Amino acid sequence: MPSRSPAVCAPSAVSSFAWLLVKEYRELVASRAWWVLLLAMGPLVGVTFISAVRTYGEASGLNGTTAGVGEAFSPLIGIWAPTFSACEVAAVFLLPFVAIRLVSGDRQSGALKIEMQHPIPAFARIGAKALVLFGGWMVASLAPLAAAVLWKSYGGSVYPPELSSVVFGHLLNAGLTIGLACAAAALTEHPSTAAIVTLSVTVGTWILNFIAAVQGGIWERIAGYTPPAMIAQFQHGLIRLDVVLIAIALVTSGLALASLWLRLGVSVRRRVQESVALAAIAVLVLVTASVASPSWDLSENRMNSFPEADEEVLAKIHGPLEIEVHLAPEDPRRADLDRKAIAKLRRVMPALRVQYISATSIGLFEQTAPHYGEIWYELGGKKEMSRATTAESALETIYDLAGIKPPVEKDDEIFHGHPLAVAPKGAAAIFYFVWPAACVVGAFFIRRRPI
Amino acid sequence: MFQARNLTKRYGRLTALNDVSFSVRRGEVLGLIGPNGSGKTTLFECLGGVLPLDAGTLVVDDRPLSDQARAATLFYLPDSIVPWPAQSVRWALDFTLGFFNGRARLRDEVVQRLDIGPLLDSTIGSLSKGQRKRALLAIGLLMPQPLLLADEPFDGLDLRQSREVAQTLRSYASAGRTMFLSIHQIKDAARVCDRFILLSGGTIRGEGTFDQLASQASARGAETADLEEVFLALT
Repeated sequence: MPSRSPAVCAPSAVSSFAWLLVKEYRELVASRAWWVLLLAMGPLVGVTFISAVRTYGEASGLNGTTAGVGEAFSPLIGIWAPTFSACEVAAVFLLPFVAIRLVSGDRQSGALKIEMQHPIPAFARIGAKALVLFGGWMVASLAPLAAAVLWKSYGGSVYPPELSSVVFGHLLNAGLTIGLACAAAALTEHPSTAAIVTLSVTVGTWILNFIAAVQGGIWERIAGYTPPAMIAQFQHGLIRLDVVLIAIALVTSGLALASLWLRLGVSVRRRVQESVALAAIAVLVLVTASVASPSWDLSENRMNSFPEADEEVLAKIHGPLEIEVHLAPEDPRRADLDRKAIAKLRRVMPALRVQYISATSIGLFEQTAPHYGEIWYELGGKKEMSRATTAESALETIYDLAGIKPPVEKDDEIFHGHPLAVAPKGAAAIFYFVWPAACVVGAFFIRRRPI
Repeated sequence: MFQARNLTKRYGRLTALNDVSFSVRRGEVLGLIGPNGSGKTTLFECLGGVLPLDAGTLVVDDRPLSDQARAATLFYLPDSIVPWPAQSVRWALDFTLGFFNGRARLRDEVVQRLDIGPLLDSTIGSLSKGQRKRALLAIGLLMPQPLLLADEPFDGLDLRQSREVAQTLRSYASAGRTMFLSIHQIKDAARVCDRFILLSGGTIRGEGTFDQLASQASARGAETADLEEVFLALT
């Protein structure tokens, strides 16, 4: 005779969450999609790392060519950015399928109907999936980190802050992908629809970047927060608080949306209402986060900053600086000015106001217009015009307007670069053979008996 | 123990459940009988909280059932699902016990009674329909809630297995567990249930013991020799 029914006692939330984590981990390692992602990371990183090391080596004088300019040799741009671009490809084309499989799998198999009868909050359920997916991504990130170890073994320079910036940027990007894919999988009935929605949003961000390049203005500002633009900043060693906050807010919003739509027992009307409320809160948070101005330049060669002496002087200029740029959005001189001068000025002069004026998007037919190409600087009621787009000319004009003598650049502040002429020894064996073989063996054993 | 009052569920213009009311008594095995498409699964999904109701309330001890209280009161075991297909039966039972704080003391007993010992190391996705049904029933029996709603618990089982499972469910009911079973095979229902709810076209056509339903049917001049005839007379 069976025992009498025990009184029902509520399961501990912590213990239930731990069980969810274990379950999601087992589901992740059982999924082919994750092993394919893992497998592909090796060759992807191999291709990018090997070609980056070769190019870096040739420019540094490998095979008898003349050594390049030392200042140009920064591993951040020469090695880390191209090597970690493999992560960007994987985050766009592979990671969404892993995330969708983990979320949609429960709905397809019917496991969701069992699990959702537990009183644990829906956000905790989706949170467990996100944490495990993030862990899975960290494992995949071991491939580019292995490249960093190889680079160090070649005698290459590793500047941890700038490498951390690149890694952090790609982790945030993976978080964005996970948030988006989870939301798409929860909103749609079938994994294939979720995949189409996710890829459509990704393509949408590319279109947004294109429109921003053509139209400028508010589009340009919004496009600055798309994953490709965000990654580009981290790859230059620049960490902007507004970008980090917006990325975290987007990830959280995606997961929250997913948790709303995984509650199958709640009416669709109520879920729609809650989603609208969530969207309103998200917009509010995004707008608030976008005004955060602190940023940190972690690059060894300070590529996002003026020399320290200049920054000290600029920080003492309190009056609002206004810059009027008569250049079209697609004019390369405008991009040059933005990157070399305005982005750096924004970091030290929060009171900076920049106005772009142009009649067309490409500027081709504006070249003969009276003021086209002019850059007007206004400080303390004085105005000065320049046509140069370099950092030096911008600083010179500002110092002139402020009546300040330009500081003298110190020799010890100059970045002398890290040229390295080596061949990528052993990289092909590691990324094309050892890594894939380890993945195949791991998949064979761990899928059967998860650790 | 548990009452459903005026439950209504619509899919667009189709009314799947129309003003459905009934009660479940503590320790009984209650059978929900109805033809395919009568709304049995919809009713169970609404009771289990995996489908929203358009109207109606669930009541326990004359108090409306909150989502939290529902999770502590009843567990709905769906039909035709293959949860965690890549995981072993052993792990699924462990997960059930750990995640839901299930009845760990019953584990070995349930495994033995449902004869799933040889299946423990098989993945759920690799089981046959009948094997999977037994594994899922084990999950249901190990859940901590006092009321178990099982959708088609005999579907996929052969005659011998059906009888054994019926016996198992009855024995747990006699030990205090309340069972509410959705069954479309009337012979299976007659074998295991104490009372019956007849559902057809989304409405309740009768509720009671066989004798009570038979007297309703005979009042309509129908044959009442077995549950099938009673069902046909009342629906």
